[in-house]
Amino acid sequence: MQQVHPMSHPSLVTQDLTIRFGGHVAVNAVSCEFRPGELTVIVGPNGAGKTTYFNLISGQLGPSAGRVLKDGIDITRMPPSARAHHGIGRAFQLTNLFPQLPVLENIRLAVQARSGKAWNMFQPVAKLTELTARAERYLEATRLEDVAHLHAAALSHGDQRKLEVALLMAMEPDIYMFDEPTAGMSLDHAPDVLELIAELKHDHTKTILLVEHKMDVVRALADRIIVLHNGELLADGPPEEVMSSRIVRDVYLGKSTEAA
Amino acid sequence: MTQETDRGADFVKLVVLLIAALLLFAPFLFQDIRSLEVAARICVFIVLVASYDLLIGYTGIVSFAHTMFFGFGAYGAAIALRQMGPGWDAVLLGTLAGALVSLVMAIAIGLLSLRVKAIFFAMITLAAASVAMVLASQLSQFTGGEDGITYKTPDLFKTATKLVVTEDGKVARLFGVKLNGKLAAYYFVFASSLVLFVFMIRLVGSPIGTILKAIRENEARAEAIGYRVVAYRTFVFCVSAVIASLAGSVYAIWLKYTGPDTALSFSIMIDILLMVVIGGMGTMYGAVIGAVLMVLAQYYLRDLMGTAAEALANVPLLPFILNPDMWLFWLGVIFILLVYFFPKGIAGSLARKETEA
Repeated sequence: MQQVHPMSHPSLVTQDLTIRFGGHVAVNAVSCEFRPGELTVIVGPNGAGKTTYFNLISGQLGPSAGRVLKDGIDITRMPPSARAHHGIGRAFQLTNLFPQLPVLENIRLAVQARSGKAWNMFQPVAKLTELTARAERYLEATRLEDVAHLHAAALSHGDQRKLEVALLMAMEPDIYMFDEPTAGMSLDHAPDVLELIAELKHDHTKTILLVEHKMDVVRALADRIIVLHNGELLADGPPEEVMSSRIVRDVYLGKSTEAA
Repeated sequence: MTQETDRGADFVKLVVLLIAALLLFAPFLFQDIRSLEVAARICVFIVLVASYDLLIGYTGIVSFAHTMFFGFGAYGAAIALRQMGPGWDAVLLGTLAGALVSLVMAIAIGLLSLRVKAIFFAMITLAAASVAMVLASQLSQFTGGEDGITYKTPDLFKTATKLVVTEDGKVARLFGVKLNGKLAAYYFVFASSLVLFVFMIRLVGSPIGTILKAIRENEARAEAIGYRVVAYRTFVFCVSAVIASLAGSVYAIWLKYTGPDTALSFSIMIDILLMVVIGGMGTMYGAVIGAVLMVLAQYYLRDLMGTAAEALANVPLLPFILNPDMWLFWLGVIFILLVYFFPKGIAGSLARKETEA
């Protein structure tokens, strides 16, 4: 049923990835491989280092030690923009948009970044119809057509979260990193976003990393779960195995399974 | 709501077109030397302010070195014309030299310091501008020091040059305006300014323009979706510097005099800032409106107040507060009122998008 390709080459590898803030080790020697067609959910209590781990992969932070490889290329020292060109895409936990630009413009910027038209100085944006058409595709995919011409700042929280996802999809990356995509979303909005992620998963070519707390989401989507605790990789494996493991129940799932 | 704001944007465009038409026909509409002086200054400052708007309004870069680049262009043309005589080769060489110095300085400042926080960058540009000012007054064998330098411009721009002569050898007139070198000089200023302004309009409407806005809005996300922020910032800083420098050269050719007060003083920097704020940041058209209002106020507010004070001579108190010497005070009052009623500048407030919450 699950289309995991354990034999395919890993698209993303972290080797002993470590970052220290003063004496505090936020991510400690995390080595992990992620493969195309696989959706990995990263769980762990607050402060476990999930977002920091994401920041190290997408380049917002540089590691104290260890390496990040994308398709075998060492991207550890690259700025985020260069990593984006290598196919690393990231949506953020805290909404991180271009607030005073229209929704369509937000998406078009993400499409344009990898289109080779970024340094185009003389053609009016409006005439780059191909970019606009592609942007409109993601606008429709995320069901934001009705608010296309509103500024991002004027959107509801739920629509802002959707736009966040639209930006990620518009980058057309190989690696999709979602950091709590449904956080703070109302019940009628959250399924939209989860459906989008499920659609991506059906493609079977994308590497998807998802930080998520809601256990029903984890169960529905995960091919694999990794558990971070105090910056260390605590468990890694198929969902049933990880969720039934004793050590994981103790540090993390013990509390939230009741709620879920 | 949508219609209303579209009307606002259309109104701004209409005003800008009207101003462009007035500037185009300025020599024929306002037939005195001082008016032409004002019109030329408006043209140059529109370009200067618009190029500053590329930085502060579009990209969110605060720089205090904009007059420095203006000065490089002005002094480049001035020194070349002074040293080489009034030829087109001097104009070209001086302009290019000024632009090149501006470009090199902009690259240096940009690469060294656009990575740091905005406030540090502003301080660095302030330091560079101060150094340029000191240099201009110290290197007096080239720059004329505090006195500045006067020079001749190519013959075409001499007031005595007759562009068209009548049968009896006198300079021909069109609608009563002498077709002389002064007219040629004005249209040189107008055309140069128009070309530079249209270039900037195209730039902000191109993909790169939206990237600049994205950097202003959220630099971290711009980087995350694949735009090297430092590169784009350095690029726009260079473009803006070169355009300011070219505007400086044009102004130097028009004035036939270049000194610290016309090209380098910090009061020009303050004028630019006021113009961009009054007009509206990040709008381009705002530069036009801001430059027109400020230059007109600088030239005519005193006259207007003098007339008003005379007319109200018998009324107590009013002649005193309308004394022409108080013009800076009134300029300040007008500025405060404008900022209060048009917080986004005139163009920015009128054309505000309906999409804002």
